[in-house]
Amino acid sequence: MSNLKEKLQAFHEIASSPKEQLKKYLEQNKKVVICAPVYTPEEIVHAMGIIPFGTWGADIEIKEAKTYFPAFICSVMQSVLELGIRGDFDGASAIIIPSLCDSLKCLGENWKSSVENIPFIPMVYPQNRKADFGKAFTKAGYERVIADLEKATGLSFDDAKLTESIEIYNEHNAVMRQLSDCLSDYPEITAADRSAIFKSAFYLEKSEHTALVKGLLSELTNTEKTANNKIKIVTTGILADAADLLKIFDDNNMQIVADNVAGESRQYQVDAKPAETSLDSLAGKFAEMDNCSVLFNVDKAIAQYTVDLVAKYQARGVIFVMTKFCDPEEFDYVIIKKACAEKNIPLLLIEIDRQMTNYEQVRTAVETFKEILK
Amino acid sequence: MSNEVKKKYVPDPNSAKFKLGKIAADAYVDAQAAKDRGELIGWCSSNFPVEIPETLGLSVCYPENQAAGIAARGGGERLCNISENDGYSNDICAYARINLAYAKTKDAPEQNMPAPDFLLCCNNICNCMIKWYENLAKELNIPMIIIDIPFNPDYDVSDAQVAYVKAQFLDAIKQLEELTGKKWTEEKYQEVMEYSGRTSRAWLAATAEARHTPSPFNGFDLLNHMAVMVTARGKKEAAEAMEVLEKEYKENVQTGNSTFRGEEKHRVMFEGIACWPYLRATSTGLKSRGINMVTTIYADAFGFIYDDFEGMVKAYCNVPNAMNLEHARDKRVKLIKDNHVEGLLVHTNRSCKLWSGFMAEMSRQISAECEIPHVAFDGDQADPRNFSEAQYETRVQGLTEIMESKKGGC
Repeated sequence: MSNLKEKLQAFHEIASSPKEQLKKYLEQNKKVVICAPVYTPEEIVHAMGIIPFGTWGADIEIKEAKTYFPAFICSVMQSVLELGIRGDFDGASAIIIPSLCDSLKCLGENWKSSVENIPFIPMVYPQNRKADFGKAFTKAGYERVIADLEKATGLSFDDAKLTESIEIYNEHNAVMRQLSDCLSDYPEITAADRSAIFKSAFYLEKSEHTALVKGLLSELTNTEKTANNKIKIVTTGILADAADLLKIFDDNNMQIVADNVAGESRQYQVDAKPAETSLDSLAGKFAEMDNCSVLFNVDKAIAQYTVDLVAKYQARGVIFVMTKFCDPEEFDYVIIKKACAEKNIPLLLIEIDRQMTNYEQVRTAVETFKEILK
Repeated sequence: MSNEVKKKYVPDPNSAKFKLGKIAADAYVDAQAAKDRGELIGWCSSNFPVEIPETLGLSVCYPENQAAGIAARGGGERLCNISENDGYSNDICAYARINLAYAKTKDAPEQNMPAPDFLLCCNNICNCMIKWYENLAKELNIPMIIIDIPFNPDYDVSDAQVAYVKAQFLDAIKQLEELTGKKWTEEKYQEVMEYSGRTSRAWLAATAEARHTPSPFNGFDLLNHMAVMVTARGKKEAAEAMEVLEKEYKENVQTGNSTFRGEEKHRVMFEGIACWPYLRATSTGLKSRGINMVTTIYADAFGFIYDDFEGMVKAYCNVPNAMNLEHARDKRVKLIKDNHVEGLLVHTNRSCKLWSGFMAEMSRQISAECEIPHVAFDGDQADPRNFSEAQYETRVQGLTEIMESKKGGC
């Protein structure tokens, strides 16, 4: 196996074994806190010496969670709850759930009764996040998370430690942005590979993940670039990690050259900048976050952002990967569609769900889209 | 065949029903008149602090009320289809789909309202509201003022939340003053606050008359009257009309009358927004079995009692869809106990993820604490395609049988 393949394989193994990763940290006597999407303040968890362990649910059959959620709540929430109920997070000290969409609010409320052995810590973010009163509220939310974490783990918070963690997270952000750019030059890296690199970040302490990604980047720079005959696309949405979906992209010779997917690049757009305290720095980071369906933006900047990504990376089209029942994305889709149409950018909408077992409809749609792009 | 000519029903102009109906209808007429005078008018989300436009003397319309009206008169599916053809998923709230279609077509014979010059959005009801209004602002190219009142995962509202929301109230007032040239005066605010208090106290007192058996009113009345509570609470006419309603219900108790026709055999609480396209079916399904829906969370939700600006801010943080499960549950438990409710009928509303997303667990907890049965049915507040009358009938029948057996019937 080549060095490159070995390095890629490591990401695949981590991305496909969250339970084993969790077990590994627990066996090292580390405290672990589950971080539900989105914009969970992992830096705070990290600064307290706890492993922030991300979850976006899993492609599993929903059984027990159905007694809590109606069918029309998105499968990310449903499967996070299902994993909690069936014990996949056992050993974790708590779960932090932000309430940035209506379904996330419900996840937190349902969690309290259904997974009693893992305390629920809410993170309430403001939508008017850019003004000083918004930043003050974000900071108050972080302080509440800290108090709850201290109670759940017995560990304490120190602002100086947060400075160090912010540096680690900023470096990880930068490395992930660099990675996404770099991969566009290496068509042999498949959509499945790319997804595994992003997904594995949830299950590793961030400096460990940074080291792995740096290793891959260094390997790539030593790899000769080959002619790129792939069809360059930009993806946007909440989540695009289903193995069957990625296989369809790869089978159709498509290369994701950039994305605005919440579980991939969207979270790495903004770094924390120096401020009076590290907590202020983190609140400032959230204030700057944008181009996201769950963050208020009256200008719908996400539409222009999508168009700009296409231009910057010379993509042939956009694939909007819609997580079924995600209404924030469903609203944004209409505006993004319009913005793309105005620039003659082909756009394909595909709807996915964590409980999907048959992707043939998606395959047909992607095949047709490929013909259009040709 | 009888030769008798059926007389057209003419409500008594002194009745609460007439007065409240007129206030709701006049809202559209007044907004159109303001628009015709060249004033800037707004579209406003239902739990946006009505005190702000009222004090500033701004005319606003309520798209949720309009969508409910359109849906009740049979236009919901037509407008939903227009939005869906533009790319909006049919999983999106039907009020939003109806309104986004209306913003485009600007005409609905069921209920028209003037086009907006600005938007007032508050998400204490749901975050879907933000997305809906963002899209309106983009499509119509008009300003949007948002007051973000986050869902509160704790039982009580924190000082940090009050400070955040209060700052936004003040900011919204400033933005509106600059936009419209109207001025906020403390004198006018005191007047609005007084009317709002009077309206709220009368509403709470009127709905509390359901504690009597039989109840002096049919709970479906509340679904109609709440429109005034939402939109016109700060107006003098609303205070006066609600006081008439309170008086009528009290008189009904004295005289043994009720707006519920027939014998009240069972008393239930209805949970969720009404299925406006099937108001008759859902109402008849209960009435035919002698079931009176004596209360809903609306009975409690729109009683905004406060003494000052900060109290008002807190009241808006404490609306039903912004509070955690335990707080929401306890409010319902109190209504159930105060009003001798025997069963809980839950509308699992396809349009409302937040309301339905933890209702199953809340229903179980309410049921256990109050020792009453609960059943749920699938429906939608405005899209007629998401309701099955047969399923509704079966569920209500099931609830009836349990309530009867608890009473010792067969």
